[in-house]
Amino acid sequence: MTMTPSYSKLVKDGLWSNNQALVALLGLCPLLAVTNTAINGLGLGLATTVVLILSNASVSLIRNWVRPEVRLPIFVLVIASFVTAVELSMYAWFYDLYKVLGIFIPLIVTNCAIIGRAEAFASKQNLRLAVVDGVAMGIGFTLALVALGAMRELIGSGTLFAQAHLMFGETARGWTLSLGEGYQGLLLAILPPGAFIGLGLLIVIKNLIDERLASRPAAQTRSAAEEVVTTEEKELETAGRKEAQA
Amino acid sequence: MQFPTRTSPYTARLYRVNQTMGWVLLALLPGIGAMWFYFGWGVVINIALASATVLACEAWVMHLRKRPVGPVLGDLSALVTAVLLAISVPPLLPWWMTVLGSAFAILLVKQVYGGLGYNAFNPAMAGYVFLLISYPVEMTAWIPPSVIQENPLTLLDTLRIIFFGTLPAGLSWDAITMATPQDLVRSELELKQTFSEIQQGPLWGGLGGRGWEWVGLWFLLGGLLLLYKRVIRWYIPLSMLGSLFLLATLFHLIDPDLYPSGTFHLFTGATILGAFFIATDPVTACTTKRGQLLFGASIGMLIYVIRTWGGYPDAVAFAVLLLNMAAPTIDHYTQPRVFGHQRKGEL
Amino acid sequence: MKQHPIRHPLHSAAARDLNTLPGGLLLADHKQLSTCRPLAASALPQRLIIPMQQHIGQPCEALVQVGERVLKGQKIADAPGNLSAPVHASSSGRVVEIATYPIPHPSALTAPCIVIASDGEEQWCRLEPLRDDPTTLEREPLVARIRAAGVVGMGGGGFPSSIKLTPGSERNIHTLVINGVECEPYITCDDLLMRSEAARVVRGIGVMLHLLRAERCLIGIEDNKPEAAAAMQAAVAEQGLPHTEVVVIPTRYPSGGEKQLIYILTGLEVPSGKIPADIGCVCHNVGTAAAVGDAIFEGRPQIERIVTLSGAGVVAPQNLRVRIGTLIADLIPQVGGYTPLANRMILGGPMMGFTLAHDQIPITKAANSILVPSAAELPDPGPALPCIRCGRCAEVCPMWLLPQQMYWHIRAKNPEKSQAYNLLDCIECGCCAHVCPSHIPLVQYFRFAKADLRERAAEARRNERAQQRSMAREERLQRLEAEKQARLAAKKAAAQERIAANQQVNQSDPKQAAIAAARQRAAEKRARLAAQGVTPQNTEALKDFQQRQIAAAERRRQASSGSPPAPAEKP
Repeated sequence: MTMTPSYSKLVKDGLWSNNQALVALLGLCPLLAVTNTAINGLGLGLATTVVLILSNASVSLIRNWVRPEVRLPIFVLVIASFVTAVELSMYAWFYDLYKVLGIFIPLIVTNCAIIGRAEAFASKQNLRLAVVDGVAMGIGFTLALVALGAMRELIGSGTLFAQAHLMFGETARGWTLSLGEGYQGLLLAILPPGAFIGLGLLIVIKNLIDERLASRPAAQTRSAAEEVVTTEEKELETAGRKEAQA
Repeated sequence: MQFPTRTSPYTARLYRVNQTMGWVLLALLPGIGAMWFYFGWGVVINIALASATVLACEAWVMHLRKRPVGPVLGDLSALVTAVLLAISVPPLLPWWMTVLGSAFAILLVKQVYGGLGYNAFNPAMAGYVFLLISYPVEMTAWIPPSVIQENPLTLLDTLRIIFFGTLPAGLSWDAITMATPQDLVRSELELKQTFSEIQQGPLWGGLGGRGWEWVGLWFLLGGLLLLYKRVIRWYIPLSMLGSLFLLATLFHLIDPDLYPSGTFHLFTGATILGAFFIATDPVTACTTKRGQLLFGASIGMLIYVIRTWGGYPDAVAFAVLLLNMAAPTIDHYTQPRVFGHQRKGEL
Repeated sequence: MKQHPIRHPLHSAAARDLNTLPGGLLLADHKQLSTCRPLAASALPQRLIIPMQQHIGQPCEALVQVGERVLKGQKIADAPGNLSAPVHASSSGRVVEIATYPIPHPSALTAPCIVIASDGEEQWCRLEPLRDDPTTLEREPLVARIRAAGVVGMGGGGFPSSIKLTPGSERNIHTLVINGVECEPYITCDDLLMRSEAARVVRGIGVMLHLLRAERCLIGIEDNKPEAAAAMQAAVAEQGLPHTEVVVIPTRYPSGGEKQLIYILTGLEVPSGKIPADIGCVCHNVGTAAAVGDAIFEGRPQIERIVTLSGAGVVAPQNLRVRIGTLIADLIPQVGGYTPLANRMILGGPMMGFTLAHDQIPITKAANSILVPSAAELPDPGPALPCIRCGRCAEVCPMWLLPQQMYWHIRAKNPEKSQAYNLLDCIECGCCAHVCPSHIPLVQYFRFAKADLRERAAEARRNERAQQRSMAREERLQRLEAEKQARLAAKKAAAQERIAANQQVNQSDPKQAAIAAARQRAAEKRARLAAQGVTPQNTEALKDFQQRQIAAAERRRQASSGSPPAPAEKP
């Protein structure tokens, strides 16, 4: 039987140390496809979060009645039902956003992050833990989506929170921040390759923060700093090689 | 008597990396001279901008990695990247785009993978593609060769355009710039012109685009120098030019009105430059003999396919990057037979 | 693999079409440095330090004691078994010490040596020259003479020559290849040997041909040694050696590698992991041939060799005939001493030799050259840069390997992957490192990874053996356990049988029966009393005060047991 994790650990895992997008690298298809603006990222992130919470809860509830042989089809069925519900809700209440996100809402079904949590966590834990996990993982995923979206939007078209009215109504039209008329967007950031490079940069930033936190007590000693450098280099080298082999 | 010890061999080494890179830079000079003659000062300014950027970027990364800066700048590989990128972009490109492209090439394509020897993609071509898909308008605005320019730009004019975007009095942007022959052929063909009709235009020379053909020939001279000095081997250039020429000729024979000739493909765009200076980058190319033949031939084929049926003006950069990705696999399947072994593991 | 038909051996050298070696290098040979002076004898040193093991194989035991006088050529150490070669005193004198001394080794190892203080008399022990023509003799006595003379390969390997000359009946040797190539720069000892003593070499070749029953002999000599080739040709003609041909091959490093030379001369490739004898070839160095001749015809043991002393670090580079065991330091004054430029000391050639940390090291049978270069001659390559995968190393590799790929996987700490590129076929010739523009010490990487691979293979073998042993042990233990159980069961059965027999005996014994009856009666009485409520107290015979004391004690006990339970038992 798996250990029962504490709520604080669940939250920390979901938001940071096991972030589904930045650490587990799951759900990359919607992540990379819709994050050309921060609002798109937020919309898809929230939809995913809702599905994740509901699916985690349902899977946890039925975990004792599902035979292991058929669990995956059943999980997918559960997830698909919720996705359909969310899709229809968005169709009803956020039609413009629905139009922008398009195919990627139904594709939430195939988001590995959701089935991953159902399989790895919800199917083994009680309802309360499963829901907390769903909330934490969903918010962590949403944050990564928004961060990536904001980054790409800012670099790619020089704006931030454009089209906020799609989600927050007409009052949000004025929320858009802009780098100014003179900024000539970097088209690459909005195109698919930009999503990969942007995600890479986000992971770099996260690892950098982790490293700083980990080495803070020993920051004074030079040997530790050097070791960090060499491991960093090794990682760079192996990353390069993997890329080359891939 | 005591002596220091070391491992064999003890002979003086024959080559050095910076010597290799130095030969490449030297061999680029004739072509660069021709470009300067036909396309003005912008070429030189771009080279200066790109070189300064790459050196600054390399120095910065070495500082971050806490490594000595001298040997890395001294290997001259970054300068080769800078020059290749600078002569690939249009001569009047705004200064910051050149800088951005060079920085991208060094930081995200070369150093993130571990620096010289570890990058999977050709940095110069990745930088070029980065700029091309980010700023398609600026990146396709070439200037016509000086021989047909009505108002040749002075050095000062060029500097003003590049750094401040201010055009000389009385000249519009359209009056200065012009599509490349490659672009021209594509758009005219779409307008149902025949290839022979297009060839009557003012951009046309004897072999390919006017001016371009001479640039290509001078780069060819530099390439031959590299071959002579054994800095590069003939496998990649020959197979690349050969496959491109054969494919183009084949289609040209099928329908001369619709498909430009083989010589046109060889002497326009970056074909010659790509064959001798870009595809032959040892770090990102194949390393076995048969692998290099396959590598070059595939690039030539892809160039033809992308030029003829693709959406971008020139194809060398895309073809090279695509084959960079395939290089490790090709190398794996083209290992030579080892002395005393049977042939095995072949494709 | 393509099989070349064996060409008729009596082609002229010019007409022979040689197989060109793909890969390899044209190196500046610097041989003029030492060939400009004739071969000279070296002075007798005061002290000879003779390592007891100068061959690949079983170590030798000393046959002499400290203080004993030895004669020149006397056997002073030997080992049992065929894969070994005895060691002989290289001059007459007294054994002063048997101790460990530094020996020529890349890792500067020490090994047991016999130290002889020479007496300057050079008194030979009795040699037994061969009276008959060796071609009329059987193999065994001839091979025994070669072994007794301690002849080992003089090209550098140190493999006992007697073994290489008895390839076994299942291997049909068609070609004897004599290696006079000497492709490493600077080294000229074989050149000088062939120039000045070709007859001695050729006489040894004649014996080898006879021993191997080879159909032909090809003597490979590089075209930068025309005098040597001419001298050899003349000697072959003079001695009338059958089916023997001097073949002049183009100068190219490493044509003198065994596999390379066989390929150049015959077009045959020695398969990976096999030896030349597997494809019908045997390859011997010219120096070895000379030593074999000496051993057969004169019974003279291998106690000296020709050593090249060269490089800008010595005043007058020259080839010397050196007694085995002479310290390098004793040789240097004979070539004029060190120049101020002396920067390094290399044993062997600049491509495959190894550096020595000092000159207090003895010359052994396999030590062909001592180089003392200046810093300008053989400069330090400086720090290595990253590999740019230019592929120059693959172009020059004589084994047609891909050094850049092997290096890549070794750097990734994946020696198995580098073995997939046939790392173990690497001959460590150094061509790849010589042309590397990044100055990467490739040979060092390959040596390291090969050692690692061999270590892993040995480890795997050890594990397999250990597993087999433990399985056998398990089996044995189970068998022993089963036997023990069987023995115990048999014993138990026997014991029960005995008890049963005893009981039968008891029933028939009247005394035992009376005791049993008495016991039974007592038991019956106790049972009767118990049934009447009487418990025997053994108090009937006590006095009154005693009775009262007992009663009081009884009361106290009852009072204490009625008290509340002890506090410790409180919950």
